[in-house]
Amino acid sequence: MDLVRQVLDEQVLDRREEYMGKVDGIVLEMRDDGPPRVAFLEIGAPALARRFSPLLGDWIAALARHLGVSDGEPLRVPPARVLEWDVDIKLDLDARDTSAMAWEHWVEDRIVRRIPGSGASSGKSTKGGK
Amino acid sequence: MKNVLKLLLGVVTSFAGFIEVGSLSTSAQAGSAFGFQLLWAIALAAMGVAVLAEMAGRLAALSRHTVAAAIREHFGVHFYSVPFVAEALLDVLVLASEIGGIAIAVRLLTGTALLWWVLPAALLVWVLLWRGTFGMIENGVSLLGLVSLCFVVAVFRLHPHWSDVAHGLLPTLPTHHHARYGFIAVSILGATISPYLLNFYASGAVEEKWSEKDLVTNRLVSGLGMGFGSTISMAVLVTSALVLRPRGIAVESYEQAALMLTPALGRWGLVLFAASLGVGCFGAALEIALNFAYTVAQAAGWNWSEDLVPRQDARFSLVYTVVVGVAALVILSGIDPLRLTLLSMALTVIVLPIVVFPFLVLLNDEAYVGPHTNTRVGNAVIVLIVGAGFLMALVVVPLQILGGQ
Repeated sequence: MDLVRQVLDEQVLDRREEYMGKVDGIVLEMRDDGPPRVAFLEIGAPALARRFSPLLGDWIAALARHLGVSDGEPLRVPPARVLEWDVDIKLDLDARDTSAMAWEHWVEDRIVRRIPGSGASSGKSTKGGK
Repeated sequence: MKNVLKLLLGVVTSFAGFIEVGSLSTSAQAGSAFGFQLLWAIALAAMGVAVLAEMAGRLAALSRHTVAAAIREHFGVHFYSVPFVAEALLDVLVLASEIGGIAIAVRLLTGTALLWWVLPAALLVWVLLWRGTFGMIENGVSLLGLVSLCFVVAVFRLHPHWSDVAHGLLPTLPTHHHARYGFIAVSILGATISPYLLNFYASGAVEEKWSEKDLVTNRLVSGLGMGFGSTISMAVLVTSALVLRPRGIAVESYEQAALMLTPALGRWGLVLFAASLGVGCFGAALEIALNFAYTVAQAAGWNWSEDLVPRQDARFSLVYTVVVGVAALVILSGIDPLRLTLLSMALTVIVLPIVVFPFLVLLNDEAYVGPHTNTRVGNAVIVLIVGAGFLMALVVVPLQILGGQ
């Protein structure tokens, strides 16, 4: 498998097929007795930002810690948790149980929920996503 | 029967949203400065946008991927960051122009100062996004947008020499003001082929769960919709050529442009002009703000849908909230809305190649569209229109800026 073309930057779904982010980074494990292998897929803004600038990545991680969003580290998923390697990568996880949704929940709790009309609506649906 | 209705609605949707601040002001300027001579630019641009919209719909129907998601996944985030930033900045400028357009429409009707209406206009846009669904926004705004057919009525009441009008469909060089002519031609191209339309159209197709069986509908909706839409832009140009040009009125403000319907439609002329401008800008503002949030969410892999309550896609909802606010601030800074519009239209043409060419690559990749890859003609039409527009913009935009007007 071509890691850069077929894995990096691809869409990640959880087992309910909810969008949980993109493959923002790949951590390789170097081995003495064989070729390197994938240790983790990383999902989250700090991993993405570190590909542009380590400083920017650290700043986003520090911001996440400061605001109490998460521990600031991207979600790391071992390849054993991957259910399907297709155009989208499907994981054997529930996004709601992971830090991939930490920012989503923070924005929901601290900002969106406080604005009137963010919940029930005449036309809009309250469950399911793309 | 249901399918026919669905198709009709689709066509109305795509053409009624066609007239907004960009197409209205560029067409009005073209007619007042050069008569019918720039009609060809509208025809060419309409062909380009129809072909591109068909491609965006095809990509979405077959791959279930929008343009933003597919480009990041295929080319990687380093490459994608360039068109992403360019399109995001442009979206803010154009959104600011549209919010300015709504405020101008209200000013035309009430005579009060523009700045009073910027925040109410932005708030109205936001409330509809916050509470409305995709279908409600598309269909509601489109039906209201039918008011812009008043320009077509005006053309028939003004009895133009049709042979002169037809002559304008053939590109010719003017005898004077070459740089201005080129600048308006480029602006027309930018007003018609907006980068936001690509991802918006694809996102709409995903929102409405299009699949392979919708390909025929997609072809009809994109072709007919953009074709009818350009008819209205052409009607604006022709009306302006027949009314403003003989009186020596160059469109340097919306107040001047607003007079163009009066000879044909009497005292209703101003009201209909303001209504067309207001509704068109309102629709475009909704689409651009939504597209901005679509693009960010799809590039980052977040959950997104205008049909979910904001709590269910909080980051997505926060993004359109912030961008509407930022765009309102741009207009409140006191920048002249007409100049901002013309500048953003011309900048659009310079940005187009970096947005459109990666998109073309995807449409030629069987991994995304299976056997339905682009034809050579489709590729050639887009490369020629976007490429020629870009080269022309490189020449005329600096000339126009240096010339001061």
